[in-house]
Amino acid sequence: MAKFVSISRLLASGLLLGLLAPGALAADGMPGMAKAAKQELGASAIFAPDGSLLVATKQGEHVMLYRSRDEGQSWSAPAAVNARPEAISADGENRPKLAFAADGGLLVSWTRPLGKPYSGAIRLARADDGQNFAAPLTVHKDPAEITHRFESLLTTPDNKVIVAWIDKRDLEAAKAGKSTYRGAAIYSAVSTDGGRSFQAERKLADHSCECCRITSALDHDGTPLFMWRHVYAPNERDHALARLATDGTPASVQRATFDRWKVDGCPHHGPSLVVDGAGVRHAVWFNQKDGEGRVFYGRLLPGAEIRVEGQRPVGGPRAAHADLATAGGKLAIVWKEFDGERTQLRGLVSGDGGQRFDELQLAATEGASDQPRVIRRQDKLYAFWRTEKEGFRVLVLP
Amino acid sequence: MSRRLLAALALALTAMPLLAAGFTPLDRAAARQLTEAGSYRQPTVVALWSADCSHCKKNLQLLAGLVKRNKQLRVITVAAEVAEAGHVPLLDRYALPGQRYAYGSDSPEAIAYAIDPSWAGELPRTFLFDGAGGKAKLSGVLDQPTIEKATGLRF
Repeated sequence: MAKFVSISRLLASGLLLGLLAPGALAADGMPGMAKAAKQELGASAIFAPDGSLLVATKQGEHVMLYRSRDEGQSWSAPAAVNARPEAISADGENRPKLAFAADGGLLVSWTRPLGKPYSGAIRLARADDGQNFAAPLTVHKDPAEITHRFESLLTTPDNKVIVAWIDKRDLEAAKAGKSTYRGAAIYSAVSTDGGRSFQAERKLADHSCECCRITSALDHDGTPLFMWRHVYAPNERDHALARLATDGTPASVQRATFDRWKVDGCPHHGPSLVVDGAGVRHAVWFNQKDGEGRVFYGRLLPGAEIRVEGQRPVGGPRAAHADLATAGGKLAIVWKEFDGERTQLRGLVSGDGGQRFDELQLAATEGASDQPRVIRRQDKLYAFWRTEKEGFRVLVLP
Repeated sequence: MSRRLLAALALALTAMPLLAAGFTPLDRAAARQLTEAGSYRQPTVVALWSADCSHCKKNLQLLAGLVKRNKQLRVITVAAEVAEAGHVPLLDRYALPGQRYAYGSDSPEAIAYAIDPSWAGELPRTFLFDGAGGKAKLSGVLDQPTIEKATGLRF
């Protein structure tokens, strides 16, 4: 007993913190000892133009920024992005996000939960020099304490910053008018000054799903794309893809998947999208198809109607939360998959644009873990995965 | 780790105050039992929900009505996340008399797998037992006849 007390005291006082990897959770340092606490492991990683690796996480009421100059071998002490504390979403489909504006400014976005259930505000902070952040701003003009959550952050070469999110103002209006409204809506706001200020938000589409992450990419011609889980009538939870005009209005919103998962529920499982050097759109998403829930990969071919080419399941029946990226002629997909004992990080790499893939077994963890991401440094791809026990894991992909 | 240390850990764990009053934390072993048909001798619904899941509210509302009218029906709720103070009022409004569970400190993916290896995390997820070995599992918003049929309240 004496031994236990001394260890728990050390843990509680943080004296053992120095032994833990950055991003690992101190309170859960020993299995079984931790009292149940909400796991908020949501993290994003990006390589800066100077080659350093940046990671954004949540710690209490701050978004924290970590830096590594050696591809994740060692990390700087974290710095707070928001000087004034505020609530931050970083569990499940939520995480702070990172992007560089074309002018070099570092951008961090996050959802700030408000008092009421499901409510939130989309926040964005900018550091002109990549280090010193201005006070965060709220991206939207709508001040209502309702859902503005699950933001996606996209930057363009002409120094625009576009943020899109799930917004329930139309649902709330319908409720007030005693009418019904399917799902939520997607709104977006555009900044033309690298994220220092935003124009008034516009609606991209009615009837999105309510709580799945949104993904974004630049199309072959540089047009901003956003993809999200939609609710097609009456309750088919397939995905939609929007192309945005230069002023941020939707030039087109098309159905992008055709799996026809009919459910009045919350899948908590959003897609990822990337456009490769040849202009081909690659996506991963989760759906139930013919009664079986799977992660899928497919290429979304443009046209009057989107056609999905090469759709195939990714991993086994327990595959979840896939992400993908392309660089140097390679396409890489990573996902996690629970094997009955541990959560495995697995991957697929293709050198021919997604026709054939090589399978990778990348890592495993015993405890909780964030969704994995594929990140890019010039022509190289890396898997980034934050786990409760091991902290930040950065793995070079072949 | 020695057996004595393990026993001390177990004791310390059970003596710890729960984060949100009234929620029993689940580990993988308890979760497995919760969805085994053999665990139930009366019509029982195990309803998984989360604070973020707006569709879950519809099922909880429906179950609240059903449990009032059917004295033999038991409704057990499972928050598919660690319970916090905010979970208490969310569930209290339905006044469901059954036991309340939430995810404990075990790996969330291990708990989910123990509940049902074929469940991908979508909510609401509901397990329906007739108390005689019969079990059904369904995702999404349910209707009353479906629940009554699967729990044996109606044939």
